[in-house]
Amino acid sequence: MTTHDDELIALLLRDRRRSPALTRWLGTLEGRRELRAYRRTLDALQQLYGDAGAAPRRIIYYYCALPTPIGRLFVAASEAGLARVSFRQSEASFVAELRQGIGADVVRSPARTADVVHRLRAYFAGERRRFDVRLDLRHTTPFQRRVLMAAARVPAGQVVSYGEIARRIGQPRGSRAVGQALKHNPVPIVIPCHRVVAAGERIGGYGGGLGIKRKLLRLEGSAAASW
Amino acid sequence: MSGLGGVLNDASMSPQPVTLAQLTQRHRGEIVGYLARLLGDRQEAEDACQEAFMRAHRAFDRLGPDANSRAWLYRIATNTGLNAARRRSHRAARVADVDPDALPAAAGPSLERREELRAIRRAVEALPPRQRAVLMLRLFHDLGYAEIAATLGGNEVAARANVYQALKKLRAALGGVR
Repeated sequence: MTTHDDELIALLLRDRRRSPALTRWLGTLEGRRELRAYRRTLDALQQLYGDAGAAPRRIIYYYCALPTPIGRLFVAASEAGLARVSFRQSEASFVAELRQGIGADVVRSPARTADVVHRLRAYFAGERRRFDVRLDLRHTTPFQRRVLMAAARVPAGQVVSYGEIARRIGQPRGSRAVGQALKHNPVPIVIPCHRVVAAGERIGGYGGGLGIKRKLLRLEGSAAASW
Repeated sequence: MSGLGGVLNDASMSPQPVTLAQLTQRHRGEIVGYLARLLGDRQEAEDACQEAFMRAHRAFDRLGPDANSRAWLYRIATNTGLNAARRRSHRAARVADVDPDALPAAAGPSLERREELRAIRRAVEALPPRQRAVLMLRLFHDLGYAEIAATLGGNEVAARANVYQALKKLRAALGGVR
Protein backbone atom coordinates (compact mmCIF):
# COMPACT_ATOMS: atom_id res chain seq x y z
CA MET A 1 0.00 0.00 0.00
CA THR A 2 1.25 3.49 -0.77
CA THR A 3 0.45 6.93 0.54
CA HIS A 4 -1.19 7.78 -2.77
CA ASP A 5 -3.76 4.99 -2.79
CA ASP A 6 -6.71 7.14 -1.78
CA GLU A 7 -5.95 9.80 -4.34
CA LEU A 8 -5.47 7.23 -7.06
CA ILE A 9 -8.76 5.53 -6.26
CA ALA A 10 -10.50 8.90 -6.19
CA LEU A 11 -9.13 9.58 -9.65
CA LEU A 12 -10.19 6.23 -11.06
CA LEU A 13 -13.69 6.51 -9.60
CA ARG A 14 -13.87 10.10 -10.80
CA ASP A 15 -14.52 11.33 -7.30
CA ARG A 16 -11.83 13.94 -7.61
CA ARG A 17 -9.52 15.40 -10.19
CA ARG A 18 -5.83 14.62 -10.23
CA SER A 19 -3.59 16.84 -8.17
CA PRO A 20 -0.11 17.90 -9.33
CA ALA A 21 1.39 15.65 -6.65
CA LEU A 22 -0.51 12.63 -7.95
CA THR A 23 0.50 13.42 -11.52
CA ARG A 24 4.15 13.46 -10.46
CA TRP A 25 3.76 10.17 -8.63
CA LEU A 26 2.04 8.55 -11.60
CA GLY A 27 5.21 9.31 -13.54
CA THR A 28 7.27 7.14 -11.21
CA LEU A 29 7.76 3.40 -11.49
CA GLU A 30 5.68 2.79 -8.40
CA GLY A 31 2.92 5.11 -9.58
CA ARG A 32 2.65 3.40 -12.94
CA ARG A 33 2.58 -0.02 -11.30
CA GLU A 34 -0.17 0.97 -8.88
CA LEU A 35 -2.24 2.60 -11.60
CA ARG A 36 -2.02 -0.62 -13.59
CA ALA A 37 -2.89 -2.74 -10.54
CA TYR A 38 -5.96 -0.68 -9.64
CA ARG A 39 -7.14 -0.65 -13.23
CA ARG A 40 -6.87 -4.42 -13.37
CA THR A 41 -8.74 -4.67 -10.08
CA LEU A 42 -11.59 -2.55 -11.41
CA ASP A 43 -11.60 -4.41 -14.73
CA ALA A 44 -11.80 -7.72 -12.89
CA LEU A 45 -14.73 -6.44 -10.82
CA GLN A 46 -16.45 -5.33 -13.99
CA GLN A 47 -15.88 -8.70 -15.60
CA LEU A 48 -17.00 -10.67 -12.55
CA TYR A 49 -19.85 -8.56 -11.30
CA GLY A 50 -20.63 -6.12 -14.07
CA ASP A 51 -22.89 -7.85 -16.50
CA ALA A 52 -22.79 -11.36 -15.10
CA GLY A 53 -24.34 -10.20 -11.86
CA ALA A 54 -27.17 -8.18 -13.15
CA ALA A 55 -28.06 -8.47 -16.78
CA PRO A 56 -28.20 -12.02 -18.00
CA ARG A 57 -30.04 -10.87 -21.08
CA ARG A 58 -28.45 -8.87 -23.81
CA ILE A 59 -29.89 -5.42 -24.25
CA ILE A 60 -32.18 -4.98 -27.23
CA TYR A 61 -32.82 -1.57 -28.71
CA TYR A 62 -35.97 -1.07 -30.73
CA TYR A 63 -35.92 1.82 -33.11
CA CYS A 64 -37.88 3.58 -35.78
CA ALA A 65 -37.88 6.72 -37.88
CA LEU A 66 -40.39 9.53 -38.08
CA PRO A 67 -40.62 12.57 -40.34
CA THR A 68 -40.70 15.94 -38.55
CA PRO A 69 -40.37 19.61 -39.49
CA ILE A 70 -36.68 19.42 -38.61
CA GLY A 71 -36.06 16.38 -40.77
CA ARG A 72 -36.18 12.67 -40.20
CA LEU A 73 -35.74 11.64 -36.57
CA PHE A 74 -34.65 8.26 -35.31
CA VAL A 75 -35.62 7.07 -31.86
CA ALA A 76 -34.42 3.98 -30.01
CA ALA A 77 -35.76 2.50 -26.80
CA SER A 78 -34.82 -0.46 -24.60
CA GLU A 79 -37.03 -2.25 -22.10
CA ALA A 80 -35.92 0.36 -19.60
CA GLY A 81 -36.96 3.36 -21.64
CA LEU A 82 -36.06 5.80 -24.37
CA ALA A 83 -32.32 5.65 -25.05
CA ARG A 84 -31.63 7.69 -28.17
CA VAL A 85 -33.08 10.44 -30.29
CA SER A 86 -31.11 11.43 -33.34
CA PHE A 87 -31.51 13.68 -36.34
CA ARG A 88 -29.37 14.50 -39.35
CA GLN A 89 -28.07 10.96 -39.41
CA SER A 90 -28.54 8.08 -41.84
CA GLU A 91 -30.36 4.98 -40.69
CA ALA A 92 -27.25 2.85 -41.27
CA SER A 93 -25.06 5.04 -39.13
CA PHE A 94 -27.73 5.33 -36.39
CA VAL A 95 -28.01 1.55 -36.19
CA ALA A 96 -24.25 1.05 -36.36
CA GLU A 97 -23.75 3.50 -33.54
CA LEU A 98 -26.28 1.75 -31.32
CA ARG A 99 -24.86 -1.64 -32.10
CA GLN A 100 -21.22 -0.83 -31.65
CA GLY A 101 -21.17 2.04 -29.24
CA ILE A 102 -23.58 0.38 -26.87
CA GLY A 103 -22.99 -3.25 -27.77
CA ALA A 104 -26.58 -4.31 -28.16
CA ASP A 105 -28.99 -5.96 -30.54
CA VAL A 106 -30.87 -3.46 -32.65
CA VAL A 107 -34.31 -4.20 -34.06
CA ARG A 108 -36.58 -1.96 -36.11
CA SER A 109 -39.94 -1.88 -34.36
CA PRO A 110 -42.60 0.82 -34.80
CA ALA A 111 -44.75 -1.03 -32.24
CA ARG A 112 -42.18 -0.87 -29.43
CA THR A 113 -41.48 2.79 -30.08
CA ALA A 114 -45.07 3.87 -30.67
CA ASP A 115 -45.36 5.69 -27.34
CA VAL A 116 -42.53 8.09 -27.84
CA VAL A 117 -43.27 8.54 -31.56
CA HIS A 118 -46.82 9.52 -30.69
CA ARG A 119 -45.56 12.09 -28.19
CA LEU A 120 -43.00 13.51 -30.59
CA ARG A 121 -45.65 13.92 -33.29
CA ALA A 122 -47.86 15.78 -30.83
CA TYR A 123 -44.92 17.95 -29.81
CA PHE A 124 -44.14 18.96 -33.38
CA ALA A 125 -47.85 19.61 -33.99
CA GLY A 126 -47.73 22.04 -31.06
CA GLU A 127 -50.12 19.89 -29.03
CA ARG A 128 -47.69 18.78 -26.37
CA ARG A 129 -45.19 20.77 -24.35
CA ARG A 130 -43.65 18.14 -22.15
CA PHE A 131 -42.76 14.50 -22.41
CA ASP A 132 -43.51 11.96 -19.77
CA VAL A 133 -41.53 8.99 -20.90
CA ARG A 134 -39.15 6.69 -19.10
CA LEU A 135 -35.54 7.07 -20.08
CA ASP A 136 -32.69 4.64 -20.33
CA LEU A 137 -29.64 6.74 -19.54
CA ARG A 138 -27.35 3.91 -18.51
CA HIS A 139 -24.66 5.03 -20.92
CA THR A 140 -24.30 8.46 -19.42
CA THR A 141 -22.18 9.46 -16.44
CA PRO A 142 -23.71 10.45 -13.08
CA PHE A 143 -22.68 14.05 -13.71
CA GLN A 144 -24.25 14.06 -17.14
CA ARG A 145 -27.47 12.64 -15.74
CA ARG A 146 -27.68 15.44 -13.19
CA VAL A 147 -27.21 17.98 -15.95
CA LEU A 148 -29.76 16.29 -18.19
CA MET A 149 -32.33 16.07 -15.42
CA ALA A 150 -31.84 19.76 -14.64
CA ALA A 151 -32.33 20.59 -18.32
CA ALA A 152 -35.46 18.43 -18.38
CA ARG A 153 -37.02 20.72 -15.76
CA VAL A 154 -36.87 23.79 -17.99
CA PRO A 155 -40.41 24.22 -19.29
CA ALA A 156 -41.23 24.82 -22.95
CA GLY A 157 -41.28 28.51 -23.83
CA GLN A 158 -38.45 29.32 -21.43
CA VAL A 159 -34.69 29.19 -21.66
CA VAL A 160 -31.93 29.15 -19.04
CA SER A 161 -28.19 29.66 -19.31
CA TYR A 162 -25.48 27.04 -19.01
CA GLY A 163 -24.37 28.84 -15.85
CA GLU A 164 -27.85 28.61 -14.38
CA ILE A 165 -27.93 24.83 -14.95
CA ALA A 166 -24.49 24.65 -13.31
CA ARG A 167 -25.89 26.52 -10.29
CA ARG A 168 -28.96 24.31 -10.14
CA ILE A 169 -26.87 21.16 -9.88
CA GLY A 170 -24.71 22.75 -7.23
CA GLN A 171 -21.61 23.28 -9.37
CA PRO A 172 -21.69 27.01 -9.98
CA ARG A 173 -18.35 27.01 -11.75
CA GLY A 174 -19.17 24.10 -14.01
CA SER A 175 -20.89 25.83 -16.92
CA ARG A 176 -18.35 24.53 -19.44
CA ALA A 177 -18.82 20.98 -18.19
CA VAL A 178 -22.57 21.54 -18.41
CA GLY A 179 -22.15 22.55 -22.06
CA GLN A 180 -20.16 19.40 -22.73
CA ALA A 181 -22.71 17.18 -20.98
CA LEU A 182 -25.55 18.71 -22.99
CA LYS A 183 -23.61 18.38 -26.22
CA HIS A 184 -23.71 14.63 -25.65
CA ASN A 185 -27.39 14.52 -24.71
CA PRO A 186 -28.51 11.11 -26.00
CA VAL A 187 -32.17 12.17 -26.17
CA PRO A 188 -32.36 15.71 -27.59
CA ILE A 189 -35.81 17.33 -27.89
CA VAL A 190 -37.18 14.94 -25.22
CA ILE A 191 -34.59 16.34 -22.83
CA PRO A 192 -34.71 19.88 -24.12
CA CYS A 193 -31.06 20.88 -24.24
CA HIS A 194 -32.14 23.42 -26.86
CA ARG A 195 -33.62 25.44 -23.98
CA VAL A 196 -30.17 25.97 -22.53
CA VAL A 197 -28.45 29.02 -24.00
CA ALA A 198 -25.36 31.16 -23.45
CA ALA A 199 -25.32 34.10 -21.06
CA GLY A 200 -26.35 37.55 -22.25
CA GLU A 201 -29.08 36.60 -24.68
CA ARG A 202 -26.82 34.58 -26.90
CA ILE A 203 -28.15 31.38 -28.35
CA GLY A 204 -25.12 29.18 -27.56
CA GLY A 205 -24.38 25.97 -29.44
CA TYR A 206 -26.36 22.97 -30.56
CA GLY A 207 -25.27 19.57 -31.74
CA GLY A 208 -27.93 19.51 -34.42
CA GLY A 209 -27.05 22.99 -35.69
CA LEU A 210 -28.28 26.41 -34.63
CA GLY A 211 -30.98 26.43 -37.33
CA ILE A 212 -32.68 23.51 -35.62
CA LYS A 213 -32.22 25.01 -32.16
CA ARG A 214 -33.98 28.21 -33.31
CA LYS A 215 -36.70 26.21 -35.01
CA LEU A 216 -37.44 24.26 -31.84
CA LEU A 217 -37.48 27.42 -29.73
CA ARG A 218 -39.80 29.12 -32.23
CA LEU A 219 -42.10 26.11 -32.13
CA GLU A 220 -42.30 26.54 -28.35
CA GLY A 221 -42.98 30.26 -28.66
CA SER A 222 -39.74 31.22 -27.00
CA ALA A 223 -38.39 34.74 -27.48
CA ALA A 224 -34.90 33.27 -27.60
CA ALA A 225 -35.66 31.95 -31.10
CA SER A 226 -34.70 35.31 -32.57
CA TRP A 227 -31.36 35.66 -30.75
CA MET B 1 -25.53 -3.38 -15.83
CA SER B 2 -28.12 -1.80 -13.68
CA GLY B 3 -31.04 0.09 -15.11
CA LEU B 4 -29.85 3.61 -14.85
CA GLY B 5 -32.82 5.47 -16.06
CA GLY B 6 -34.23 8.79 -15.38
CA VAL B 7 -37.89 9.34 -15.41
CA LEU B 8 -39.09 12.51 -16.94
CA ASN B 9 -42.17 12.82 -14.83
CA ASP B 10 -39.92 12.88 -11.77
CA ALA B 11 -37.85 15.50 -13.45
CA SER B 12 -40.87 17.62 -14.22
CA MET B 13 -41.65 17.64 -10.52
CA SER B 14 -44.73 15.53 -10.72
CA PRO B 15 -45.28 13.14 -7.83
CA GLN B 16 -43.48 9.86 -7.32
CA PRO B 17 -44.91 6.78 -8.96
CA VAL B 18 -48.06 6.19 -7.01
CA THR B 19 -48.16 2.47 -6.71
CA LEU B 20 -45.72 -0.11 -5.50
CA ALA B 21 -46.46 -2.04 -8.67
CA GLN B 22 -44.96 0.80 -10.69
CA LEU B 23 -41.94 0.94 -8.43
CA THR B 24 -41.52 -2.80 -8.69
CA GLN B 25 -41.72 -2.76 -12.43
CA ARG B 26 -39.22 0.03 -12.68
CA HIS B 27 -36.61 -1.17 -10.21
CA ARG B 28 -36.94 -4.93 -9.82
CA GLY B 29 -34.24 -5.64 -12.39
CA GLU B 30 -31.59 -3.49 -10.77
CA ILE B 31 -32.50 -4.64 -7.26
CA VAL B 32 -32.18 -8.32 -8.13
CA GLY B 33 -28.88 -7.49 -9.86
CA TYR B 34 -27.69 -5.75 -6.71
CA LEU B 35 -28.64 -8.69 -4.54
CA ALA B 36 -26.85 -11.04 -6.92
CA ARG B 37 -23.72 -8.94 -6.54
CA LEU B 38 -24.14 -8.86 -2.81
CA LEU B 39 -24.86 -12.56 -2.36
CA GLY B 40 -22.96 -13.98 -5.32
CA ASP B 41 -25.80 -16.31 -6.17
CA ARG B 42 -28.59 -15.71 -8.60
CA GLN B 43 -31.13 -17.98 -6.92
CA GLU B 44 -30.53 -16.56 -3.47
CA ALA B 45 -30.77 -13.11 -5.00
CA GLU B 46 -34.16 -13.92 -6.51
CA ASP B 47 -35.41 -15.15 -3.13
CA ALA B 48 -34.04 -12.14 -1.30
CA CYS B 49 -35.55 -9.82 -3.92
CA GLN B 50 -38.96 -11.33 -3.41
CA GLU B 51 -38.61 -10.89 0.33
CA ALA B 52 -37.40 -7.31 -0.12
CA PHE B 53 -40.43 -6.36 -2.19
CA MET B 54 -42.71 -7.99 0.38
CA ARG B 55 -41.11 -5.83 3.05
CA ALA B 56 -41.45 -2.83 0.77
CA HIS B 57 -45.12 -3.66 0.42
CA ARG B 58 -45.60 -3.62 4.18
CA ALA B 59 -43.67 -0.36 4.59
CA PHE B 60 -45.02 1.42 1.53
CA ASP B 61 -47.52 3.52 3.47
CA ARG B 62 -44.71 5.10 5.41
CA LEU B 63 -42.87 6.23 2.28
CA GLY B 64 -43.28 9.99 2.11
CA PRO B 65 -44.41 11.53 -1.18
CA ASP B 66 -41.11 13.38 -1.58
CA ALA B 67 -38.87 10.49 -0.58
CA ASN B 68 -36.27 9.10 -2.92
CA SER B 69 -38.07 5.85 -3.62
CA ARG B 70 -35.12 4.25 -5.38
CA ALA B 71 -32.79 4.80 -2.42
CA TRP B 72 -35.58 3.58 -0.14
CA LEU B 73 -35.79 0.32 -2.12
CA TYR B 74 -32.03 -0.07 -1.97
CA ARG B 75 -32.15 0.33 1.79
CA ILE B 76 -34.74 -2.42 2.14
CA ALA B 77 -32.85 -4.64 -0.30
CA THR B 78 -29.60 -4.09 1.58
CA ASN B 79 -31.16 -5.06 4.92
CA THR B 80 -32.75 -8.11 3.37
CA GLY B 81 -29.53 -9.09 1.60
CA LEU B 82 -27.37 -8.66 4.68
CA ASN B 83 -29.81 -10.78 6.68
CA ALA B 84 -29.65 -13.47 4.04
CA ALA B 85 -25.84 -13.35 4.11
CA ARG B 86 -25.88 -13.64 7.90
CA ARG B 87 -28.24 -16.62 7.82
CA ARG B 88 -26.03 -18.25 5.28
CA SER B 89 -22.88 -17.77 7.31
CA HIS B 90 -24.51 -19.86 10.03
CA ARG B 91 -24.98 -22.63 7.53
CA ALA B 92 -22.15 -24.29 5.68
CA ALA B 93 -19.95 -21.84 3.83
CA ARG B 94 -20.84 -21.66 0.20
CA VAL B 95 -18.04 -21.32 -2.27
CA ALA B 96 -19.47 -20.78 -5.70
CA ASP B 97 -19.56 -17.14 -6.59
CA VAL B 98 -19.22 -15.92 -10.14
CA ASP B 99 -17.04 -18.54 -11.78
CA PRO B 100 -14.30 -17.13 -13.99
CA ASP B 101 -14.29 -20.37 -15.95
CA ALA B 102 -17.94 -19.95 -16.74
CA LEU B 103 -17.53 -16.50 -18.25
CA PRO B 104 -18.54 -16.18 -21.89
CA ALA B 105 -15.91 -17.56 -24.20
CA ALA B 106 -15.81 -14.25 -26.02
CA ALA B 107 -14.27 -12.73 -22.93
CA GLY B 108 -11.53 -15.31 -23.44
CA PRO B 109 -9.51 -14.63 -20.31
CA SER B 110 -5.99 -15.98 -20.48
CA LEU B 111 -4.81 -18.43 -17.85
CA GLU B 112 -3.07 -15.64 -16.06
CA ARG B 113 -6.06 -13.36 -16.18
CA ARG B 114 -8.21 -16.18 -14.84
CA GLU B 115 -5.88 -16.44 -11.87
CA GLU B 116 -6.36 -12.73 -11.30
CA LEU B 117 -10.11 -13.01 -11.55
CA ARG B 118 -10.09 -15.84 -9.05
CA ALA B 119 -7.95 -13.83 -6.65
CA ILE B 120 -10.30 -10.85 -6.88
CA ARG B 121 -13.34 -13.06 -6.45
CA ARG B 122 -11.90 -14.63 -3.31
CA ALA B 123 -11.06 -11.18 -1.97
CA VAL B 124 -14.60 -9.96 -2.65
CA GLU B 125 -16.00 -12.98 -0.83
CA ALA B 126 -13.75 -12.21 2.11
CA LEU B 127 -15.04 -8.62 2.43
CA PRO B 128 -17.40 -7.94 5.31
CA PRO B 129 -20.89 -8.00 3.79
CA ARG B 130 -21.54 -4.32 4.46
CA GLN B 131 -18.32 -3.37 2.73
CA ARG B 132 -19.23 -5.54 -0.21
CA ALA B 133 -22.59 -3.79 -0.32
CA VAL B 134 -21.13 -0.27 -0.44
CA LEU B 135 -18.64 -1.30 -3.10
CA MET B 136 -21.32 -2.74 -5.36
CA LEU B 137 -23.61 0.25 -4.81
CA ARG B 138 -20.84 2.63 -5.79
CA LEU B 139 -19.48 0.69 -8.75
CA PHE B 140 -22.56 -0.73 -10.36
CA HIS B 141 -25.61 1.07 -9.08
CA ASP B 142 -24.60 4.64 -9.45
CA LEU B 143 -25.40 5.62 -5.89
CA GLY B 144 -23.48 8.63 -4.60
CA TYR B 145 -21.82 8.51 -1.19
CA ALA B 146 -24.66 10.45 0.38
CA GLU B 147 -27.18 7.95 -0.96
CA ILE B 148 -25.00 5.06 0.15
CA ALA B 149 -24.86 6.57 3.63
CA ALA B 150 -28.65 6.91 3.58
CA THR B 151 -28.91 3.28 2.50
CA LEU B 152 -26.53 1.72 4.99
CA GLY B 153 -26.36 4.27 7.78
CA GLY B 154 -23.34 6.34 8.73
CA ASN B 155 -22.20 9.43 6.90
CA GLU B 156 -20.80 10.28 3.49
CA VAL B 157 -17.18 10.33 4.64
CA ALA B 158 -17.48 6.88 6.16
CA ALA B 159 -19.23 5.52 3.06
CA ARG B 160 -16.45 6.75 0.85
CA ALA B 161 -13.73 5.46 3.17
CA ASN B 162 -15.46 2.09 3.15
CA VAL B 163 -15.46 1.91 -0.65
CA TYR B 164 -11.79 2.89 -0.82
CA GLN B 165 -10.88 0.41 1.90
CA ALA B 166 -12.57 -2.38 -0.05
CA LEU B 167 -10.69 -1.48 -3.24
CA LYS B 168 -7.38 -1.41 -1.40
CA LYS B 169 -8.01 -4.91 -0.09
CA LEU B 170 -8.89 -6.15 -3.56
CA ARG B 171 -5.87 -4.53 -5.11
CA ALA B 172 -3.69 -6.16 -2.44
CA ALA B 173 -5.10 -9.53 -3.49
CA LEU B 174 -3.49 -9.07 -6.90
CA GLY B 175 -0.06 -8.89 -5.29
CA GLY B 176 2.79 -7.76 -7.51
CA VAL B 177 1.72 -6.65 -10.95
CA ARG B 178 4.21 -6.28 -13.73
